[in-house]
Amino acid sequence: MKRALVLLLFATTPAFAQVVASTPRGVVVAKPGHEVQTPTAIVVGRDRIAVLDALNNEAAIIEQPSGRTTRVQTAETPIAGAFVGRDLYVLARDARVVQRIGGARIAVAADPAFLRESNGTLYVYSRATGTIEEIANDRVTRRVTVAPFASDFEIDGRVAYLLYPRDARIRTIDLRAMKTTGVVSVGAVPVDMAFAGGGTAITARILAVADPSAKRVWLTEGTQSTVQAVARGFLRGFLGLGLFGSRASQFPTGVDRVVIRGKQWIAYDSSSGTLYRFTKSKSSVIAKGIAPKGFAVTADGVVYWKDGKLVAPKNAQ
Amino acid sequence: MRRALLFGRRTSRPPRRLGADGTSALILLLLAFPLGAQERLASDFEIAQMEQQLLRAKGFSAQVSARLNLGDLRATRNEQSLARAEYLNASGLAEAERLDARRESAMSRYANATSYAALAQAKLGRKARAFELLEEAARYASDDAENWNLYASAMRILGHPRKAAAAARNAVALAKEPLDVAIYQHALATALIESGEVDEAERLLVTVTESLRSSKFASLQRDVARGEAFEVYSTARGDVAAYVSLLNRAQLRLAALYEQRGQTSKARTQYERVLAARSDDVTALTALGRWAEAFEANPFSPALVATYRRVIPSISEGPPAGNTTGAQMRRALIQLARGEHRAARTTLDGLLEKFPANETLRTLRRETERKAAPTLPGATPTAEELRALIETFEQLTPEQRVTLDRTTFTSDVVFTSAQVANGQTTFESGTIGGVPFRFSEPTVFNGVFDVRARLTYRILGRTADVSSASSGRAGRPPSFDRDALLLDPAGVQ
Repeated sequence: MKRALVLLLFATTPAFAQVVASTPRGVVVAKPGHEVQTPTAIVVGRDRIAVLDALNNEAAIIEQPSGRTTRVQTAETPIAGAFVGRDLYVLARDARVVQRIGGARIAVAADPAFLRESNGTLYVYSRATGTIEEIANDRVTRRVTVAPFASDFEIDGRVAYLLYPRDARIRTIDLRAMKTTGVVSVGAVPVDMAFAGGGTAITARILAVADPSAKRVWLTEGTQSTVQAVARGFLRGFLGLGLFGSRASQFPTGVDRVVIRGKQWIAYDSSSGTLYRFTKSKSSVIAKGIAPKGFAVTADGVVYWKDGKLVAPKNAQ
Repeated sequence: MRRALLFGRRTSRPPRRLGADGTSALILLLLAFPLGAQERLASDFEIAQMEQQLLRAKGFSAQVSARLNLGDLRATRNEQSLARAEYLNASGLAEAERLDARRESAMSRYANATSYAALAQAKLGRKARAFELLEEAARYASDDAENWNLYASAMRILGHPRKAAAAARNAVALAKEPLDVAIYQHALATALIESGEVDEAERLLVTVTESLRSSKFASLQRDVARGEAFEVYSTARGDVAAYVSLLNRAQLRLAALYEQRGQTSKARTQYERVLAARSDDVTALTALGRWAEAFEANPFSPALVATYRRVIPSISEGPPAGNTTGAQMRRALIQLARGEHRAARTTLDGLLEKFPANETLRTLRRETERKAAPTLPGATPTAEELRALIETFEQLTPEQRVTLDRTTFTSDVVFTSAQVANGQTTFESGTIGGVPFRFSEPTVFNGVFDVRARLTYRILGRTADVSSASSGRAGRPPSFDRDALLLDPAGVQ
């Protein structure tokens, strides 16, 4: 099922303008000049979504399925958001705050770039200082300084992962203790990562890491705590295995975004706007000329916005 | 209206590793300046000089900065279509560099090219794409001061000074070399002024100007003196050019700030310091009321002309004698102000014989023939209405421009050509009742259409009619013989 939030009014449509997201109720497309002037991100909740406009400091909160829309002003440059229950929290980067819409503004460190939610607790990573701040009950409850200038920040339960393109490393942080637990090299210039399985009682989390310099997606076994390792009777670190296992480039110009949902493994090259499907043994082009936020991965496959319409190709798998 | 000017400099900073890079030691740093009182109009000489630089430019950084610079220079002369062409060229260069860098796994190059692609998009007014590219560059290079400075410049161009200030703060925090720090502090001060935070801006500008004049920059000061460097570039290359341009801009900005606050003595000091380095600086000459020198320095500056026309009523002496270009310009402006249109025409015709392509002269000449106040066309405009609009476009009031921006028109048009592919038709230019028009870029319409169609559009402005272009040599812009309407298409039937 798909649901388009807005309709095209004109015959001409800029190629880079729409934002596509997958929600529990289907796929949504935010188009310029409708919910907000310049949609830059969509935040998905259980029964609400929010379209952010980082340029014009606006957000539109849309109830699903009624479509009832509430528009609100935000602090400067809302680049990301998260729902905690029905509350929308927005990360306003240039105001250096996390803003609960209709409520508190929580000051965070310089250049906050990522906002993640885990079990009702928010975590903000700020690039300039390398700080992770934990936010609960509208205040910063704890913080840890890791290393600055990460390009991705992901959380899996109580473990956070920070990815560093410059020094080609992943740092892991135990969020219970708010302490760095590991630093592992991966690839040449890793830029983006996604969880690719594992994380059971006997297996560590597997991370897929997009490395445009190596033109590969690396498949990396995530860290585990010492307690977990001892419980399993062995210690394992990151494996850093490139997919395919050969020296051949996996992607012609490299990919710098990776999105994984179930069996759907999707990679994207921002430089050429090329969308790929990939497995452990091969990759294939799905579409070209796609905007960085013009696609979404659903349980059934990938959908993307191209030439003025939403396309849902038949799953090649 | 505000715009960003650029200047870059050569740095001895070693390239940082980000992939298999081979990063050039040439790092471009950006500065942003407001248009208006501080603007220097680009003279024909400067344009020609920059075109020569472009012909000599080798490598991405040199070429893209030259293109952006030329676009900025054109923009100061209100040559919007030529400016746009340069920005499009810069955008094309940057996009090609992005792809090339990715193919070669050169991620620093990729981030840098992405920032420049964003800047070009910002100058073209494409907000969403510019923002997208800036964010992309930040993913790769959030630790790079130059990229944050580019971010700040693009945000200023797009009219978001608070975002620009935030980005500039990042650049200042990351900069290490004294000249870099000064450049980024100046950019931050600029954004703060536009955000209304003038106290912090003033402190920063005082810091920048005092720092640049201090012994910390003794070596550069000696180089400036030895090389008799005085040119102020919107895109400067090399430390000396960057130093000269930064000092000029920072002092002018600080002077303007003092003026706004009624601190005329302090402002005068800054203007005199500017003239000590460059005796023909139009902004400083204008601010100090030295009109004759200002017009001799840059006779066709729209900013200078506009400022002079405002003060003409307070000037007691008659039209200046003399046959220098500056004197003739002042004479024509005074004649116009007095309603002596025939005399003004004679003066301007004399100048137009020497400078036939000068937009300022042509605009003033049209003004001498103006018989009625400009009016806006109806919803389905006649050819006469559109011709009148082209003629009087510069005289539209701000209110009329706002109304024009909001109005959608519909006309029967004949497109120059129709390129059909995949069920879509691409149009770029055509005529409405014989009145030429064009779009800012080739536009794809869903559906197959004939060259004769009904077009719904908004009118963006007046531009050159590309169909009247005489071909330019390599690296040189073409010349245009007549004006056209620049339209923003909304739909075609």
